[in-house]
Amino acid sequence: MAATVLLPSGSNVSVKVHPVVLFSICDAYTRRKENQDRVIGTLLGVVADNVIEVKNCYVVPHNESSEQVMVDVVHHKTMFELHQKVAPHESIVGWFATGSDLYNSDALIQEFYSKESTHPVHMVVDTTLKDEKFSVQAYTSRVLALGDKVLATEFIEIPCDTIVGDIERVGAELMLTGFNDPSPDGRQKETANKSFSDETETLAASMARLADLVAKASDYVDGVMSGKVVGDPAVGRYLADTVALVPHLARPDFERIFNESVQDSMVVTYLSDLLRAHVGLAERLGTAALPIM
Amino acid sequence: MTRACAFEGSAPRQHKELVKTVQLEGQVLLKIIQHCSEALPQLVTGQLLGLDVGQQLEVTDCFAFPAAVADDDAEAESAGANYQLEMMRCLREVNVDNNTVGWYQSANMGTFQTLELIETFINYHENIKKCVCIIYDPQRSSRGNLALKAVRLKESFIELSKEQKLTLKGFREAGLSWRDIFVELPIKVRNSNLVQALVADLIPAPTATQADVDKLNLSVAPFLERNIQSLVECVDDIVQEQQKVTMYHKTVARQQQLYSAWLVKRRQENTQRLQDNLEALPEEDPTLFKPIPEPSMLDNYLVTNQIATYCDQINIAASEAIQKLFLMESMQKAGL
Repeated sequence: MAATVLLPSGSNVSVKVHPVVLFSICDAYTRRKENQDRVIGTLLGVVADNVIEVKNCYVVPHNESSEQVMVDVVHHKTMFELHQKVAPHESIVGWFATGSDLYNSDALIQEFYSKESTHPVHMVVDTTLKDEKFSVQAYTSRVLALGDKVLATEFIEIPCDTIVGDIERVGAELMLTGFNDPSPDGRQKETANKSFSDETETLAASMARLADLVAKASDYVDGVMSGKVVGDPAVGRYLADTVALVPHLARPDFERIFNESVQDSMVVTYLSDLLRAHVGLAERLGTAALPIM
Repeated sequence: MTRACAFEGSAPRQHKELVKTVQLEGQVLLKIIQHCSEALPQLVTGQLLGLDVGQQLEVTDCFAFPAAVADDDAEAESAGANYQLEMMRCLREVNVDNNTVGWYQSANMGTFQTLELIETFINYHENIKKCVCIIYDPQRSSRGNLALKAVRLKESFIELSKEQKLTLKGFREAGLSWRDIFVELPIKVRNSNLVQALVADLIPAPTATQADVDKLNLSVAPFLERNIQSLVECVDDIVQEQQKVTMYHKTVARQQQLYSAWLVKRRQENTQRLQDNLEALPEEDPTLFKPIPEPSMLDNYLVTNQIATYCDQINIAASEAIQKLFLMESMQKAGL
């Protein structure tokens, strides 16, 4: 990713993409029409303080040949109106295209989108997996003019990051750590598809990962202590703060808190089981439907 | 990619393949999560699109419904239908499967067993035989686990409700209990190869993630409190339902009494009239004693279902809490 380039207006713009958008783009690429090489579409999102957050996207049908490019504007407008009904705060922030490079027709499409929004962002998603890497790049455009005559449009790369929102974390990470089995031949393995409600196993897995992390941190500290690794003072301070956060409780205090919490949980479990037994009993005796007293 | 569609059995045998599992694409999962959590505290719904392949329902795309504004019912309904048609038309242009296979909705604390859900299911069922509803609970998901489930109505229940026999006798005859209204289906998540590459590249190898930290959170009291409160409300509902049934039985009994008293009087009158050589009055008078309709057991059963869900949730949360507490205890003993 290129370093931030100062645009003429002096603004540092950067782009943050939600994973939903990338997933949709990949899906659209798989579904493209036979004669098309790439897919283009509109990006929706919010702009805040020079950070453009791309939250949603939709595909726009288009036709391009070496001479001209046609974009289905009606479709674009209709979809935008529909999306506005659901999420009125999202606006058009740019457009995306799959493929590995910029095409000549991009300039025209960029011009069309600059009528829809100020400073549209052009995102290129490399679905051909060139260099064995899945790259996502964002560009903003600048018009090169000589006096009044417009010569060309220059695309300048801007930093592009993927952010995972709070709740999406859960879904995305679930896909990585349990469900998604990136086997080389892409076969769906039955073992990879655990049930969503496998709570105890996931708790054990979480603890294992946390233990791993702690082990890594402790290895790092050992390395620094023995002089093998050059210590970074920021990391050291951070670790010290984290360890200081662990509360040191006197034994009787800890026991008291522990017992209270366990008792709370037990009593609640008991009540819920009691209720369930009651309902089951009423059902069998038929008293749920007949007057009992 | 070729996909085969399921064929329904020939008409005389009426053999239908039931949906046994639901397969979601990764992007559907993320879209549902994004839409439901952004719209909090409002509850939202959306449409699921995909294909049904034998016993598995594949959901390949979804879109959100605009939040219903209850200004004018007729207008809102037609606007909603228009939105749906427009969206489907646009999606068809970009080769998205535009078969409706169900809908998704967000639920508050797992409450989804409502009459509206059943009515929506029955509406859908008239057009599509295999439809499913995905319930997402954003509040439970914020505790580190993904609270997503897929439900559909049981076949026998659908037939029963079509015949309008939702009374106790109807249920007993069909051999159904309150457990047999909804069927929960296992969910699988599938991603195409390209998306798998994306996922592998996007987020680095799993170390302890933020979700893990959420899961290991020791504070379980607020969640339990909310659950118990909802449970208490449910129990109140069920007591009300029981009272309704009791009232019904009392009214029937009273009606019987009145009827027998009236019958005796009629008979007396008749003997009197026979003596006077007049025609005897009929002994039945349907207009005076209308049969009282039996209350539907559906609400009762739905509330019972709800109670069962809450109890399950509480059990799971409490057992998790106990596990975490014991872990803490052993860590304390070992370390300090």
